[in-house]
Amino acid sequence: MSRSYDRALTVFSPDGHLFQVEYANEAVRRGTCAVGVRGKDIVVLGVEKKSVLQLQDPRTVRKVVMLDDHICLAFAGLTADGRVLIDKARMECQSHRLTVEDPVTVEYITRHIAGIQQRYTQSGGVRPFGISTLIVGFDPHDTRPRLYMTEPSGIYSAWKANAIGRSSKTVREFLEKNHKDDLTREETIKLTIKSLLEVVQTGAKNIEISVMESYGKVTALDLSQIEAIVQEIEREKEAEAERKRSRLAATAAGQAAMSSRAGDAAQPSGQQ
Amino acid sequence: MEYNGGSVIAMVGKGCVAIGSDLRLGNQALTVATNFEKVFPVTDRIYIGMSGLATDVATLREQFRFRVNMYTIKEEREIEPESFAHLVSSTLYERRFGPYFIEPVMAGLWKTQAGEYKPYIAAADLIGCLNFAKDFVVAGTASEKLFGVAEGLWEPDLEPEDLFETISQTLLNGVDRDAYSGWGAVIHVILPDKVITRTLKGRMD
Amino acid sequence: MECSFALTGKGYVLIAADTTAARSIVKMKIDEDKIKSLGPHLLMAYSGEPGDTTQFAEYIERNIRLYQIRNLYPLRPPSAASWIRRALADSLRSRKPYSVNLLLGGYDTSNHTPSLYWIDYLGTQAEVPFACHGYGSYFALSLLDRYHDPEANLEEGLAVLRRCIDEVSKRLVVSPGKYRVKVVDKDGIREIEF
Repeated sequence: MSRSYDRALTVFSPDGHLFQVEYANEAVRRGTCAVGVRGKDIVVLGVEKKSVLQLQDPRTVRKVVMLDDHICLAFAGLTADGRVLIDKARMECQSHRLTVEDPVTVEYITRHIAGIQQRYTQSGGVRPFGISTLIVGFDPHDTRPRLYMTEPSGIYSAWKANAIGRSSKTVREFLEKNHKDDLTREETIKLTIKSLLEVVQTGAKNIEISVMESYGKVTALDLSQIEAIVQEIEREKEAEAERKRSRLAATAAGQAAMSSRAGDAAQPSGQQ
Repeated sequence: MEYNGGSVIAMVGKGCVAIGSDLRLGNQALTVATNFEKVFPVTDRIYIGMSGLATDVATLREQFRFRVNMYTIKEEREIEPESFAHLVSSTLYERRFGPYFIEPVMAGLWKTQAGEYKPYIAAADLIGCLNFAKDFVVAGTASEKLFGVAEGLWEPDLEPEDLFETISQTLLNGVDRDAYSGWGAVIHVILPDKVITRTLKGRMD
Repeated sequence: MECSFALTGKGYVLIAADTTAARSIVKMKIDEDKIKSLGPHLLMAYSGEPGDTTQFAEYIERNIRLYQIRNLYPLRPPSAASWIRRALADSLRSRKPYSVNLLLGGYDTSNHTPSLYWIDYLGTQAEVPFACHGYGSYFALSLLDRYHDPEANLEEGLAVLRRCIDEVSKRLVVSPGKYRVKVVDKDGIREIEF
């Protein structure tokens, strides 16, 4: 009798938690950071890229992948789980085209992925996927960029900008402070990189950026382009700090002047 | 068997074997391709030729390659001709009541305890009934003619070059009297240390 | 009746297929495209049982695309041909086989060779310099035997194709009216006004 109870890994704890799902969320939190930002007519995915080992082929490590001509996905968490989920999603994209002669919408494939993730929290003998995903793209015959997120529990939601993985909270708070509606292409890319720099200390070489500009038009920025933007951001930060310093110095000088004048006044005036 | 046409033949020589096929692929009377080889290597010393339905020739070629690779990995040695013949036979008999429409012809050299190589040839029908011969085996749409010519030309203990001449003349003259076979031929003479492969022109009509 | 032709030349493969969709003796449509692009350098002309043809061609198209997305590079023509052949051979011994005949033309960008495969509904596959399906083959194959040149440039190739189509129009009782012609070469796939 107790067999059926033991078989399932995902059962409620007395206070209503699913521990396995929470552990999966922990696996996501330990994964590398991924950021998605939606602009006016563009959507950008940025990921933190672990430095590959000296002898490793960097092309075999991919964190941003195509699901179909018009949909891109980035994930944080267990890479092996990601691969399996991505394969299922790609299959669904082609299958959808075959059966209804239409490409999938971004929401459809997000719902499909989230559906699979949910199924693995409720079936016997399986464990949840240890990944969160950011899914971006354009719907067919539509110019509005889309950005969705899915979680191990099977929740999915639409966003203007969001981050998953390591230090995602810091990045999300940064985005909340800095995101505006209707960002231009340059602003969107810059915001993505800027937000990633909050958690990536090593700079451009550990950042990968994919830009989707319209239906089926995806480009990955190369290292030199990212470096240029990182430098620009650094210059701005420098200028900002400089301004702050000079303002601080000005205030300090003012204060000093004031206190010295006060001192002067306190002295007896012999000359006059 | 007459749907795509084609014929294969194998012969025993002295310390060597030869196997060959014509090159025609037809769609009944219409010739579709004139470069369709029906003989494939299995190991360095075993070849298999298949005549019959061309789709099954391709499918079984893939099937045999798979099974021989599995055998090689599991046994950690190359398959011997006799084992391969039985592998072919059992593969065909698996489809006893819905057969692959091919007749295979196998040729190879097997290694004796003393370390020398002895010729081995065999043929089977479409459900895998093996026929071992010590002279020659034939299959395909020109098989009757090939039997006749081979019966007249073959003699025991032919040296490699003589064997090549004998099998070439047998095949080319046999298929000349068959509308479903022809368009040149390919011959492999298997020796212990190498395989001589030659492509022949015949009556190209 | 359905006719499709294909021939290779210097660095290209030409494929032509008629554009009629017929049911028994009635033409239902005269601008049907029976040549599918399976990738940046792969073309497939299909003919046979209506329904089976589109159904099978779309199945192949989606699977070839899936391969490309999964592996980031497309399947090369010989591998694609083998895979498609296998799909047909497996289908032949299934409960309801597809009856579809194919001509597969591709340009291999890694070694710069054009290749053409003749595949029938049984799963018979042959790599050939030129090929036809349908009643047109009884006229066109002999013309191609005489006039085909694997080193011909595109104009010469088109002239040979023109000969084939003209002959079929002249001599075949049930000849189709219009053809669609596509070419695949190092630059990809183009349709040619014919």
